[in-house]
Parts: sequence; structure tokens; C-alpha cells
Amino acid sequence: MSEQPESTGVRRREFLKILGATGAATATLGCGTGDVERLIPYLIHPDQTVPGVSSYYATTCRECSNACGVIAEVRDGRTIKLEGNPDHPLNRGALCARGQAALQGLYNPDRYRGPMVRQGGRLVPTTWDQAMQLLVQRIGEARAGGRAANALFLNRHETGSFAAFLDSWLSAMGMPPALSLDVLAQTAVMEANRQSYGIAWPSLDFGAARLIVSFGADFLDDWGATIPQQLDFADARAKLATAPRMIYIGPRRSLTGLNADEWIACKPGAELAIARALQSGAKAGGGDKASVEQAAQQSGVPAAQLQRLAAEIAASKPSLLLAGARTANASELALTINSLNQSLGNVGATVKPTSPITSFDGTTPAAELLAAVERMRSGQVPITFVRGVNPAFTIPRAVDFAGAFARVPFKVAFSSYPDETSEMCDLVLPDHHPLESWGDATPVPGTIGLQQPTMEPVFNTRQTADVLLLAARSGGVAVGAGATTTWRDLFISRIPGGAAALTAALPRGLMPGSLQGAPSRRPAVAPAPTPSPLPPPTESAPGDFYLVVYPSSVLGDGSGANKPWLQELPDPVTKIAWQTWVEIHPLTAARLGIESGDLIRVSGPGGKAVEVPAYVYLGIRQDTVAMAFGRGHSAYGRYAKDVGVNPLDLFASGTDARVAGGGGGGGFAWTQGRVSLAKSDGYMHLATTEGSARQHGRGIGRALTALAGGTMREAAGGEHGEEVAPTGEKGAQTARPGKASAEQAGAETMPGDASHDFLPGLRSPLAADAQGDVASGIERKEGGMYSSQHWSGMAKRRWAMTIDLARCTGCSACVTACYAENNIPTTGAPYQSTAGLSRSATPGHTGLPGSNIVRGREMAWIRLERYYEGGEDGTSSFDTRFVPMLCQHCGNAPCEPVCPVYATYHSPDGLNVQVYNRCVGTRYCSNNCPYKVRYFNWFGYGEPHRAQYAWPEPLHWQLNPDVTVRGKGVMEKCTFCVQRIREAEHRAKAEGRTLVPDEFTVACAQACPSRAITFGDAADAGWTVAQLAQDARAYHVFEELNTYTAVVYLKKVNHPALGPDAEAVGGGT
Amino acid sequence: MTKRKKWTVIPGLFTVAATAVLLSAYSGASSPQGRSPKQPLPFPHPVHVQTLGMNCLYCHFAAFKSPDPGMPAVGTCMGCHTVVREQRPALNGRLARKSEGIATLIRYADKKQPVPWIRIHKVPDYVNFPHMRHVNAGVTCQTCHGQIQAMAQVYQAQSLNMGWCVTCHVERKARYDCSVCHY
Repeated sequence: MSEQPESTGVRRREFLKILGATGAATATLGCGTGDVERLIPYLIHPDQTVPGVSSYYATTCRECSNACGVIAEVRDGRTIKLEGNPDHPLNRGALCARGQAALQGLYNPDRYRGPMVRQGGRLVPTTWDQAMQLLVQRIGEARAGGRAANALFLNRHETGSFAAFLDSWLSAMGMPPALSLDVLAQTAVMEANRQSYGIAWPSLDFGAARLIVSFGADFLDDWGATIPQQLDFADARAKLATAPRMIYIGPRRSLTGLNADEWIACKPGAELAIARALQSGAKAGGGDKASVEQAAQQSGVPAAQLQRLAAEIAASKPSLLLAGARTANASELALTINSLNQSLGNVGATVKPTSPITSFDGTTPAAELLAAVERMRSGQVPITFVRGVNPAFTIPRAVDFAGAFARVPFKVAFSSYPDETSEMCDLVLPDHHPLESWGDATPVPGTIGLQQPTMEPVFNTRQTADVLLLAARSGGVAVGAGATTTWRDLFISRIPGGAAALTAALPRGLMPGSLQGAPSRRPAVAPAPTPSPLPPPTESAPGDFYLVVYPSSVLGDGSGANKPWLQELPDPVTKIAWQTWVEIHPLTAARLGIESGDLIRVSGPGGKAVEVPAYVYLGIRQDTVAMAFGRGHSAYGRYAKDVGVNPLDLFASGTDARVAGGGGGGGFAWTQGRVSLAKSDGYMHLATTEGSARQHGRGIGRALTALAGGTMREAAGGEHGEEVAPTGEKGAQTARPGKASAEQAGAETMPGDASHDFLPGLRSPLAADAQGDVASGIERKEGGMYSSQHWSGMAKRRWAMTIDLARCTGCSACVTACYAENNIPTTGAPYQSTAGLSRSATPGHTGLPGSNIVRGREMAWIRLERYYEGGEDGTSSFDTRFVPMLCQHCGNAPCEPVCPVYATYHSPDGLNVQVYNRCVGTRYCSNNCPYKVRYFNWFGYGEPHRAQYAWPEPLHWQLNPDVTVRGKGVMEKCTFCVQRIREAEHRAKAEGRTLVPDEFTVACAQACPSRAITFGDAADAGWTVAQLAQDARAYHVFEELNTYTAVVYLKKVNHPALGPDAEAVGGGT
Repeated sequence: MTKRKKWTVIPGLFTVAATAVLLSAYSGASSPQGRSPKQPLPFPHPVHVQTLGMNCLYCHFAAFKSPDPGMPAVGTCMGCHTVVREQRPALNGRLARKSEGIATLIRYADKKQPVPWIRIHKVPDYVNFPHMRHVNAGVTCQTCHGQIQAMAQVYQAQSLNMGWCVTCHVERKARYDCSVCHY
């Protein structure tokens, strides 16, 4: 054997070197302790707190004018979650997505971190002392010059002490009262209500109505007191066969419209024509043929449909008619509807002026704001204060607020965020976030909603009231009662009963009574509107299509755009996130050769144009296009800037943005122009979470059709078209004959027989069978944990959930609740865009918002699916099914056997568990999941050094300490809030008891403003969920796959028109 | 010829074997068992617990009611050390001396700064270890923290690896399903 000196393989020495190096590296990695972690104790331990245990503070949400009550969960000094206050008269424990996202305002990384002053054209940080000095000096100059009476204070609308204090401060300074602004306020409706009932907003009793007719009133989106309305509407719908039928009249089906049983697709602005026809018909006592014909002509709705509407309204008493279109004739519409409600006898029955909601009292109509803008433009205004509003964004560009504002010599912002308006200001004195502030609200008469700080201020901010008090004192002006020097003292002095009463009431967040010296804000002076000739005012405008601009139900007035939870939350109607789109009817789109995603140039009358992707949407008239308002900021932080476009830019001139009714309600008329469309070169992937808008016969969202006599029949879209399911629990036995007979015969129930026995998964041993322990009869000697006799007792429980589709309105509050509870990263921010990193990336995606979602990388553990039934031919009669889709926690889960490392398995208490530390990221489980509810961490969203880090400082202060922040390459999914289950078990154990039925619930169920979700132990009959799972409407999604899911859906109930021609028009049949 | 093949195939086998050895060593070596970093000030557990007879719960007051046992606030230390200053008198046969540790503590307190203790016992983020469940079940502090009452400088006495946890859970008939701790 001869030596072969020229070996092609690895040589011995090299091999040893490699081996040595590898070993050393491994050893270093293995033994390295990494960064030194510090344990920082308190300096002085605060009383009544326990580290690692949450404290709860009741306070008031200030994200919109409603001022719902919230309970803030505070862990170790940081507010980590907001939930509705169950005692609050408005929201009764529920909380919408916007309210929950207040936390991301509190911890917003782009918040002003301290006072700023303009120097050399830029805002630069300054100290509070210097800032106050400048403020006092400039106020003094304005007062000395005798021009203080022209000063302007633009304030966010809120009820309560601060508004009253502000006006007294302004009057002490010789300044006029503040403008109390809420761009979403239905000022037209409020003004009509004041004329009709003497109050701004009556409470509405949806449950008492037999018929709900909405004339563009999006009471589930942004119209009025949304949360209480949604609670009541869902309760009304839960009456199933006897629930009120709902009709929506408007050019576009909003989220509210999709919840209606019938949609009357009228031209924009023609809601009034229909209302007038109904009015004259009611006067004539049974239909006025001529006026109906006229209304049909003007509204573009078949006369027969209007005739039937009139007949139905006449026949269904009491009914509930709601007005809310954002058109130029909104005031007249609201007055007409009020008088219709009066003549139909609905006032007192369904419309209750005797129990008003006072949240909106004192809002300034847009007309006054526009007049103020003109005063600024003329150079009369010496000083302008802005607090919590962003008129540079919310006023149509054509009004040129920015130009007028720039002419004010000294502009002060009390805003928290660098928005379009505050960025123009000369001095920024950032206010505390509402969660750091003292205050109060008056949601209903006789009740004070209290607002208290939930934590120490995150940044170097000061509450505006304190700044104003200090400015007054420094300027030698006396404001407030005597010697009070801080806002907190002043606030307490206004509370009936003082500090003692406040201390007693704070735990509940509410107290009876009204404030000392409550403000008597002047009601807006409103001349009675003169009836105008009927053609919709849009008719004369040039352009091919009517444009409907509507406020996004997720982003509100645009103030939600800097909160990634809200940007990432798909629009409840279109399922698009992080983008602005234009909605086009399928037939129109086909005519113009447009498909979803094609870039469309939308041109307004004055040549203003925006370029947005098209979204082909069934729920819009063929002669109308629609765009959502809320995105398109040119400032406002990393999550909002250059994300989407602002449709208000399209309005050509100030006169086009005319004020409704010529001095009636005085709201902005957003639906008032015509636009032309042109397909431009290019295509933009829609950042949508939707695969298909159709169920393709899969029976995911099923519905029943209510028939006369209180019975229900299976509607289209279900798999068992002929099945007749009687109402209520009583009928459960007759609906499930299979199980009883099979058991009597002693036959073995085979898993394949699921269609006869629609709930086998919840209590069958199938869950255990998946583990091969119990059902196979092989009881191991020591007894597996899956045995109900096992000492751990875990197998005695079967955690389960029911979702009532008759209640669900698709509002998506559950989605945001899940983000907040489970540390779910948002992935769509422009800075998280990863185009260019991957070779498979679509060209042109660099830095585009939502590009991760385009590639299906969203992380939402609960997804609100929305399916249409019917309307394939483009007609307006289609039915919508909202289906919250989350991990079904299958008893026989397809994901479990395919995992090569046992990272996902079935726990004895019925959870499908994902063990992050076992997961190696093969994604087989996701591939095998029929529900597509598993989400993969493609990037290190939870790792601060990564470019895709989802919680830049201090956003990560919000993270739930009970939940692991997942790392890169790990699969994750809904856990049924296992941390809440364990927490409840800890609590029960500490108290020496077992769990009490319904003693806790999961985050989505807690937030749901429709009360559609119920969670609990299906193995214990004491829990509500165990009863609901037995309901006759219950079904499992993809039951035929034998997955034996723990999530049980209850079928939606449709309410077609009952009558001779009902079948032709009724939705969903 | 065979020699040539030997050094191309054998390295592969060596690599596999070495990887296996290293991986198994890694799983053991990844525990910082025995780690005993120098703290910002030398807190002597023996003096407080053994000599003075203080209960663990005096300082770690939440151990029986919270997942987090709690580190004593500087105010808690100063509750005694406002009186027990750095000049220690002669006591029990010891000479009078100046305690550097107490002096450091008082400096922190005067500057109104918390003591930045170095964390020794840590389970990974994906592990939930509720102290109160263990304490209330009769698991002593020493089970996990070793003879901490006798440690002049605290060190990690146990590996705190999962196998170590599970062994105890099985022996004591505590639930050991993954989702009991991992979520």
C-alpha cells in the first residue's frame, strides 16, 4: 500500500482543526451566559401591589367622543391591557378595537417625549420652564395687544370637567370659548334630535323594534354610541326567529349594511327622497303611488321595492328608523326620519329621548370650524391652541386649513403625536395620554364617568389643564376656585362629595350625580332648514361616478392610523389592511376591464387625483365608487406616514365641501362629489387576509332563514340544505336523532357518522383517542394523564368555545383583543417590509406598507372571515356571513401527527398546545391544518435587534408578561388564552376550591361587543358554553374531516321579508 | 487507495459522533449551574437568615401569593439599616468594624437608586414558574435554591433544566403536561 499524497478529501490536520474550532464554538455558545440580567427592585414598595400580580384601575376611554368605561390592567407599574368596565352604562364590559388600541397611543414610539419649540424652522426639544416662559410671554403679548378675543382653541370633543375648566380659563384670558371638535360626530342628526326631542342623542331600543331601517346610519361603524348600539343590536338579533328584520338604505353596504337582511341600493343623497316618499305615504295612509314613483326615479331603486318597504314599515310596528348619511342633505334627512318615527309611534317605544346619551353634547358643528379657518386666513387670529385634534388632516384639503393655519403668528399644540397640525405649530406642549390623566365624562345624565391615571407618565409630558393653570398663574390671572394650584385639586373640588366621594367611587370608575357647576354649553344656533328641491345635489357635478367617502370603522377619524394594531386589523368589510382602496362594483369593473389590485386613478372635479388599487366589491352601486377615510397621513409617525391616501384630497374646492343643510346640523358632507376613474399602468397586491369571498359550498358560515310562525329553515351555503332545525334548545333532541338511537341500540358510534351526531368532539373520548391512550382500551399501568382517573385531573376538563353567528356583526374587536393579550406582532409596517431580502419577493414592494401581509405573513390568531352568499350576478340581494376563525382545538387534530418533534400535541384538558421551545419550524402543521389558523414567525418580530421588530421602544411596555414573545422560526396559534386558564387555576388553588363556572373568560370573548363568543369547560354542565354547545343551531366547521373541534358555531339567522313576494327579494334564501 | 478513502469517510463519521457528543454535552452545559456572580453589594444571607432568624418572606414577600417572589425594595432594607448602620459594634466575640456592604446600601438609598442586583436564577422566557404554587405546595426554597440561607454569595445550586423540573413533578404528583409551564 502506497501513500497517496494527493488526497482529494479532507486531510487529517484540516479535519482536526475543523473539529477543534467547532467544538470550541459550541462550548462557548453553550456556556456563555450572554448579557447580565439585572433584577431592579423598587426604591419604596408601593402599597397594595404585589409584583407579578395585576392591579386594575377603572378609567375612561378617550379614543372617541363616547367615553366608554374601561378597566386598565396594570402589571408592575405598566398598563398592559384595556377591557370594558362591566358597570359602565354605555359599554357594559365590551370594548371596541379602537378603545383597546389606546395602549398603542400611550406607548407610541413616535409620541412627543417632551416639550418642543420651533427654532430655525424646526421643532427642537426644550425644557418645560423655557416652554412655559414662551407660552406666558406670547399669551401676554396677545392680551396686551387687545387681540385675545380673536384667539382660537381647537379642542378634542369631550364632556366633563376639563371642557368646563377650559372655557373658564379662556374667558379669564379674554378669549372666546373653545371649539369642541369631533369630525365623526353626526351633527346633522344631533341638531334634528334637538329640534325633535330637545336632546342630542336618544338611546335606541333595538330589541323592542320589529323592523330596523337604516338610512345610511352606520350604527355598527361610527354612527353615534356604537358600542351600546352593537350590544343592543346583538341582543335583538339573539331573539332569532322573532328578532327584528333590518333594512339598510344607502349607496354602499357598510359593515352595518352587511348586517342588514336587505339592502336598498339607492343613489348617494337619495335616502332623503325615499324618506320623503315614505312620509307622504304615511300621511296618505297607505302608500302614495306618485311620490314612490318619483322617489324610485331619483334614487335608482325599483318602485316595487320601495312600495314593499312602505308596506313593511306600515305593517311592522314598532319599527326603528335611523338617519345618518353624510350627504349635503343630511339635516333634512334626519328631520324627516324623526318625524316619521314620530308618526309611526316609534318615539317612546324604540327611540327613547327620555333616556338620552350625553356624550356628544356640546360638539361644535363643522360650519363654525370653517368660519374659524377663514378668520385665521384673514390674519385676525393672534394665537391658536390645538389639543387632540388634527384639522390639517380631517378637513378636506381644498379648504386649505394648512395655508390658513400658517398665517397665525403663534400656534401651540397640546397634542401627543407629531401629526400634520402639530408639526406646523411653534410650540408643542404634549399633554398626558388619557390613561395618565385625571378627568371625567358625562356619558348619560346623572352619571359621572371617572378618569384616573393608570400609571406614571411614560414621557416628559404635562396634563394640559396643569399647563393652563400654571400659565394663568404666571400671567397673573386668577382661574378656578381660590387657591387650587393643580388640576387634580381643581378636579376634586368639582366632584360632588369631594375627595372622599372620589376615593370611594374610583374603584368602580363611576359615580352618580352631576358635576359642580357643570358647563351649560350653548347649543348650536340652528335655523330651521328650508326644504330644498329634491334631486341629489351630486347630480350636477361632473364625473362618471358618485364618490362615497366613509370613515374607516377601524381607524376612526384617522387618529387610529398611528397604532399598528389598527393598521393591521383588516377592514371589516373589505379585509384590507395598511392600504387605501377604491371600491368598484363587479359589473362596472368588468365593463372597465378592472380587476382587484389594478391601480386606478381617481380624479375629482378640480383635477385633483389619487392613485389607489381597486377593490371589486359587491356591496356598492354600479354608478358609485367608495373610499375609506383614515389613512393617507403625511406625518403622524412611522405607522401612519405615507400609508394609504386621503380621499378628502379629491374634493376640489371649499364650496364643494359644503355644509349640510346650509346651517342645519353643519357637519361635513363627505358624500357629495363625482369622480372619474382611469385605469393606470400598474398593479398593487392588496394587503388582504382573505382567500376567497365565497364559501364554495364548504359550509363554513351557515345560516338559517326565519320563517313565519317562528320556525327556521337552513339557508343556502350550508351543506345540509334540507335540514329543518327548530328553534331553541327544546328542539335539540329532535335535531339530533342519531346519537340517541345509536346509543339505545348499543351500537358503536363511528367517527365517520358525524353528520348524525354533530357534537361528538366535545365529550367523546376522541380527544384522548388522538393520544392512543384511553379509547383504545389500553389503560397504562400508571394511568396516562389522558385518563379521567389520572391524579392530575386535567382530563376532566374540555375547554371549548361557542361563537354565535346570529350575534356576530364582524366588528373585529376580538382580533385586537387577541393582539393585546397574546403579544402578537404586527408585520405590515413600512419598516418591516422585507422586499429585496428574498429573491421571491415581488418587484416593487420595497418599503410598501402591508407587504408582509401580501405574502400571507400576518400573525392574527383570530381572523374574521367574511363570506357572501348570493349576488353572483351582481344584484344587491346577497347575504353576508361573518365567521371568526381561530384554532379549533380539534380533538383529532391534523396538525398533531405531522409534527416531527412533538411540538404540537393535545393536552389532557382539551387544548391543542403549541410548545414554542420544541418547535423547529418545519411548518408541516400549518400545511396540514384545514382551518389555516397557524401562523409562522418568518422574521424575528420579537427580537429587538431585528429590522422587523414589532415593538420599538416603548411599545414593548405593553407586552403581556404571562405570554411568551415568540422568536424567529417558530409556529404559533391561538392558545385559548391558556395563560388565563392557568391564572384562574392558580387563583382557585390558592383559595382552596375548584373553578367556578364562568369565573373567567378569554380575551376575545371578554372584548366582544356583540357577546357572540362564549368560552368555558364543555365537560361541566355548569358552564354556559356547555349549554350553548347543545343548541340546535350548533355546528362544527369541516365536521366531515372528523377533526372534532372544540369551537362550536351557532348558525346565523336571516330574516327575509315575509309576504307574497318575499322570496324574490329576501336576503340569503 | 484505501487510505485515501479513509480520510474522506472517517471525518464524516467523526463529525457525526462529535456532534452527538457535543449536543448531549451542550444540553448539560447550557445550565449555568454553579454560577455565582459578584453582586453590587455583598448581601450575606447567613447573617440575615441564620444569625438573625429572619423569614424568607420578610424580604421576598410575594413568594407565596404571586408568580414573582419579589426582590426587597431599598426601603425594606433601610427599614432596619436606618438603625443598623455601617459601623458595626463588637458583638458575639467579633471586633467592631465598618461594613462596606451596609455603606454601599446606604449610598444607594441616599442617591435614591435601587440596587441593580444581578439575576442568577432564571428560567427561559417560554417557561412560566409560579412561585406561589410551589411554596404553597410545601416545596421549600432550598429545593430549587439550594442551601441559600448559608450562601455568603448566592450561586445557582440546581441546574433548573427541564428534566430536573419534571423529575420532581412526577415524584410529587404534580401535573407535568407541557402546557402547564410552557405558554
